[in-house]
Amino acid sequence: MPDSPTQVLLIEDNPGDADLVRLRLTESRRPVDVNCVNRLSDALAQIEAKPPSVVLLDLNLPDSHGTETFRKVLEKAPDLPVVILSGQEDEMLAMKAIHQGVQDYLVKGDMTSRNLERSMRYAVERQALLRSLEISRKQQLEFKNQFLSHVSHELRTPLTCIHQYASLLVDGISGPISPEQRDHLQVILRSVNQLHAMIRDLLEATRAESGKLRIEPRCLALVELVRQAIAMIRPLALDKRISVELESSDHIPLLYADPDRVLEVLINLLDNAVKFTPPEGRVTVKLNMQETDPEFAYVSVADNGRGISPEALPLIFERLYQDPDSVDGNRNGLGLGLYIAKELVNLHGGRIWVASQPGVGTTFTFNLPVYSLAKLLFPVITHQERLRNAIVLVRVHLKPLARPVRGNWKEVCRESLELLRRCVFVDKDLVLPAIATNGPEDTFYVVASTDMGHVNIMITRIIEQIGALASLKAIGTVTANARPVPIPTDGSDKSLNQQVEQVARGVTDLVVADLTSTSSFNQKEKTDVN
Amino acid sequence: MSTEIKDEGPNFDRAKILIVDDDPELRMALKLRLRANHFETVSASDGYSAIALAQKERPNLIILDLGLPAGNGFTVLKRLQESDSLSHIPVIVLTARDPQANELRSLDSGATAFFQKPADNNELLQVIRASLRSASAWGAALPS
Repeated sequence: MPDSPTQVLLIEDNPGDADLVRLRLTESRRPVDVNCVNRLSDALAQIEAKPPSVVLLDLNLPDSHGTETFRKVLEKAPDLPVVILSGQEDEMLAMKAIHQGVQDYLVKGDMTSRNLERSMRYAVERQALLRSLEISRKQQLEFKNQFLSHVSHELRTPLTCIHQYASLLVDGISGPISPEQRDHLQVILRSVNQLHAMIRDLLEATRAESGKLRIEPRCLALVELVRQAIAMIRPLALDKRISVELESSDHIPLLYADPDRVLEVLINLLDNAVKFTPPEGRVTVKLNMQETDPEFAYVSVADNGRGISPEALPLIFERLYQDPDSVDGNRNGLGLGLYIAKELVNLHGGRIWVASQPGVGTTFTFNLPVYSLAKLLFPVITHQERLRNAIVLVRVHLKPLARPVRGNWKEVCRESLELLRRCVFVDKDLVLPAIATNGPEDTFYVVASTDMGHVNIMITRIIEQIGALASLKAIGTVTANARPVPIPTDGSDKSLNQQVEQVARGVTDLVVADLTSTSSFNQKEKTDVN
Repeated sequence: MSTEIKDEGPNFDRAKILIVDDDPELRMALKLRLRANHFETVSASDGYSAIALAQKERPNLIILDLGLPAGNGFTVLKRLQESDSLSHIPVIVLTARDPQANELRSLDSGATAFFQKPADNNELLQVIRASLRSASAWGAALPS
């Protein structure tokens, strides 16, 4: 069977060099079709329109030079075999190119018809091999995911059975039991819960590995979330008489992050801190901003536990890593918690790291992106190079009629937010994204450039329009109220940017105070039950 | 410690709950738990008989597994939603399946709540009572 001609895309701006390459190619024993372009932009368009079998690439073109040239080609077509044809020997550059995925690096002067042909042929073969390896790697990963998802489902059924029957016994539903029997059953139930948590971590880690971990960012008040996490970990800490303190600098801005995922990270770090701190110890959560990095808020969880050895420190975020020193009869789980925490923080665009001193304690720190309120507020609250005279924060609160929520509450909240955006002036008011709250209620905020007198018209409009939503009517209510935002009066010595930032801080404080007043009410409810 | 939760509002003592699960032992455990909390129970082991039983028994609430023979949980949810006489019944999904892939889908398909197995019994009972309360507020008849 005759070979179909190899489609060669020659990217070369020097006509003499191009002719030389053509000559070498026509001398070869295999049929080739050569298409020559002299600009990188034309080449990229060609690759898109009709991908060739192989690319022969000169690095210095009218519109691109050096490493940039092959980087752009590989970026456009990572699966395309690329052979660099260079004017001179440059071992460093050649290695760099190969490491980034180029198949070969030939010097034009040394090029014979035979070695050019061979280089091209091998480049095509190697690239095909790489591709099939990559495909099979992906298939294996996918298989592993499906396998784990299947296994964890199958494991959960008998686990649920153990849980159900042990709790029937413990609750006395199957008849009276002795205190000792109750203790033993509690051990069974605790172990079942541990096993359940492990299965969940296993699935999360697999998702992280295959890039299927998802986050849904919202506007959130970090302090609130940290308080929630501390409240959740407190019973565990109390058992060991460990104190858990929160230290927060004033004016932590609103963040743009997924509240459930951030809570997961916080719980994970707090759980570790409590686990590895001796009784009577101390765990401190600090929140602060750093002047050098105003786009991020920093959270650290510090304990005065036994610390981590310098050898273990670099491995701590690895999958399945467990501190060998901690094998003292304590069950540690799978060693996936910090790996998952790292993946979640990275998904937010943040970083997580650890500092530790054996015998003194350990501090985990991570950062999360700030919701850039000041930037978004600027056009809304300034007018002719000055702050507007009056600014009002409007709070729109959606509350389900009953708990649990009936119908598709989340969809109703999304619809309401859409409608809210149409109830305000596009150029004068700013609608913040949904705010993270505890429970099913949803709260939206509008920063309106008006005064308290005029804002009532807006509030009436909001309540009328959202309240008239058929989907909301059946299952929930809407309320709206407003508060004036403090406007700095000592504006003369500050730049407009600084004044806007001050207003943004004022808005954040109002939002945080609002959220705190509602959720502290929730927390009270919880403690009463215990 | 007791699982009894004090009832506020109407008395649900005789509310009837349909348990749909293909695992007989899990069905039994749930039945014992609910009966200890003074609920009446009926149970089905597949999607087809779940719908038939819902029509015949008119339960006040349904606890539904997703992985079922003869019409999975989503099919059951759909059939319930389509029926004028059954769509008002609150459905609590209780499944071993992964919430990431199934929670929103269940709620979108008309479920009132989603629990992954093993669920916390107290939480489940609280949601059962709350669902019955809101269902009765919506005019679904409870046995008097």
